[in-house]
Amino acid sequence: MAATRDAFACMGVRDIQAGLAAREFSAREVAASALDRVRALDGATHAFLETTEQMALEQAEKIDAALSAAVASVPGAGAAGAAGTRAAAEAAGAALAACGPLAGVPVAFKDNMNLAGTHTTCSSRMLAAYVSPYTATCVARAIEAGGIPLGKLNMDEFAFGSSTETSAFGPSRNPWDLQRVPGGSSGGSAAAVAAGLATVTLGSDTGGSIRQPGSFCGVVAVKPTYGVVSRYGVVAFGSSLDQVGPFARSVADAALALDAIAGRDPLDCTSQEAGAGFAENLAEGVRGMRVGVVPAFMEAKGLTPEVRAKVEEAAGHLRALGADIVEVELPNAQAAMSAYYVLGPCEAFSNLARFDSVRYGYCDPGHADLGGQYEASRAKGFGPEARRRIMLGSYLLSAGVYETYYYPAQQVRTLITQDYARAFEQVDCILAPVSPRTAFRFGEVSDPTDMYLSDMFTISINIAGNGGMSLPVGLGAETGLPVGVQLISPQFKDHNMLRVAAALETVYGPAPVAPDFRECATFEAPAAIPDAAEAVPGKDLPGLATDGDAAAGAPVQGATNKEKGGSPMRSEGCEASERSMAEPPAPQVKRGGEGGRASSAAPTKRVPHEQGSPVDCPGEPGLSERLGAAEDARSQVEKAGE
Amino acid sequence: MTQHLTERDVRGIAEYARIGLSDAEVAQMTIDLNAIIDSLKPITEYDLAGVPPTFHPIGGLSNVMREDAEEAGFPQAVALENAPKQQDGCFLVPSILGEGGDR
Repeated sequence: MAATRDAFACMGVRDIQAGLAAREFSAREVAASALDRVRALDGATHAFLETTEQMALEQAEKIDAALSAAVASVPGAGAAGAAGTRAAAEAAGAALAACGPLAGVPVAFKDNMNLAGTHTTCSSRMLAAYVSPYTATCVARAIEAGGIPLGKLNMDEFAFGSSTETSAFGPSRNPWDLQRVPGGSSGGSAAAVAAGLATVTLGSDTGGSIRQPGSFCGVVAVKPTYGVVSRYGVVAFGSSLDQVGPFARSVADAALALDAIAGRDPLDCTSQEAGAGFAENLAEGVRGMRVGVVPAFMEAKGLTPEVRAKVEEAAGHLRALGADIVEVELPNAQAAMSAYYVLGPCEAFSNLARFDSVRYGYCDPGHADLGGQYEASRAKGFGPEARRRIMLGSYLLSAGVYETYYYPAQQVRTLITQDYARAFEQVDCILAPVSPRTAFRFGEVSDPTDMYLSDMFTISINIAGNGGMSLPVGLGAETGLPVGVQLISPQFKDHNMLRVAAALETVYGPAPVAPDFRECATFEAPAAIPDAAEAVPGKDLPGLATDGDAAAGAPVQGATNKEKGGSPMRSEGCEASERSMAEPPAPQVKRGGEGGRASSAAPTKRVPHEQGSPVDCPGEPGLSERLGAAEDARSQVEKAGE
Repeated sequence: MTQHLTERDVRGIAEYARIGLSDAEVAQMTIDLNAIIDSLKPITEYDLAGVPPTFHPIGGLSNVMREDAEEAGFPQAVALENAPKQQDGCFLVPSILGEGGDR
């Protein structure tokens, strides 16, 4: 049973659908085993905030019923013989296709996306008790496309952050090293895919929040051109910057998911008809394509040698595959950072004004005057980073200051947009770093302005509205952790970057599930994840961090939910006095195949893998070699660290 | 580091943003905001004469209109579902006039 459970986890969209069409397994088995796996393993990653078991099983039953009906309608299907079997398989395949491009695929959603009947918390105390009365368009489309909804995923509070450390429910952990952050703000979305807890997840990206966690967790992560995916029902951060996109372990799966969610939506007037078919030209290769590299990016202060080496390596592979590598200049890109930290907080200040403690959201009790209720509710409902950004936006939009920062930032935006337009006259796609470094340790980056540097290579793409994505290209030579390269498209030519990514994927292979989460992985502490069946408006989603159990950064102010207890996986041995508050305890890894518990002497130490122990996932040829290399690199790093 | 904001300024901003901060929080916020605003300096150093602003990344969009036809919205009960306090089908707030009223 465990083997089956884990086999689904490693499958891509096509493998799952081939198995369903051949009736090798049912959609119900896929759904049930995916949920089993989430419950068994997410105690380690804390990617999920809430599961949606009933929705998952109902969706699976719908797919199974469609398959059964199609097969039953084939004359002589019950009869033995190859012809009958073939006819039945064809009928099942057609029925599956009719269920949609994501039929039978386990999917999950960042918790800033409304799904009716689930909590949508934005990982904030402010929305801990909010239960969605409606569904975001991107979520509805993923489910209408046949996706099996597993649940909602952890994030930085209101997407303010690059590590998930600002989540009011405690941070997620990087499946490649549980002592490290998964990146953010869509950290749960990236971690879930990297850990094989979902095949496809959705995230949102305002300044790098899809691409940077994609890079940190070693998965394919796509931020399409602004307007390709509807933002309706996605809690707004920076409305002129936000864009929704998919995470997956292969370019093809990400492209299929993008196809499913893209397109004009009457409910978002900035959404565009983007011309679907993102998965169609992936195999065309890059011969004759012009791919730009930006010399100033490669010389940027803070870019680590291992990341730089990977970008150069990818450029070399593209050249070998027939692409022309062309140097392009983005002279104003260095201003993107400061423009973003003007525009982002200003838009956030405006968007977060809606949390008034009256219509929904946290309301501090016992106030006789409305002003006092506003101030106390917003002080206690928002975490430290959210308050900082609201305050910053409020200041930057004030009279006299507006002219100094906000208006010039919008002018700089013009310059950056023109830079990209000029560069894309010369090239079809730009290759760049995603993050200047690999995943950092919890608490390692504590200064807000240092944390903002995480997004130095991703921000200008949101400013200009282009498409950008992170493609995993193996592990860094120094840290042994995943590295992604960024591919950037002209506006509404997202096909370009996906095609280049697919070509690079023929060299690097699809993204593997993180080593500790491959077959037969188990962890000491199973997750007690709340389920949407218990979701009642006004009742907090369980798992809010309490005062002494706060996420990194600063303690959460005004915790009012001590009675709810800490998050389940952090219930023991995580007193603030015993360890840095910034470092959540990592659950022990117990390798099922090795028969026995890991030593309890060092509860936060990851158990090193035995050489050669990883098991190949079905349908991923050539994985062993890459895993071997990964293990070597990792064990060297571990030795060096001891 | 340049002092862009004093603690008094921060109190004013907090009041405008409707975020109640303690004295200790005001002190920390003043330090944090000054550091962040310092990092925004490059924006003030550009020669931007004659450069038009871009308020939205996608050009060429026109306003979207639809027929003025009735569409289904949330029933009142659903719209109130997440309200912290409600009474007689309305959102309930503390009195804003008279005794115990707003400032």
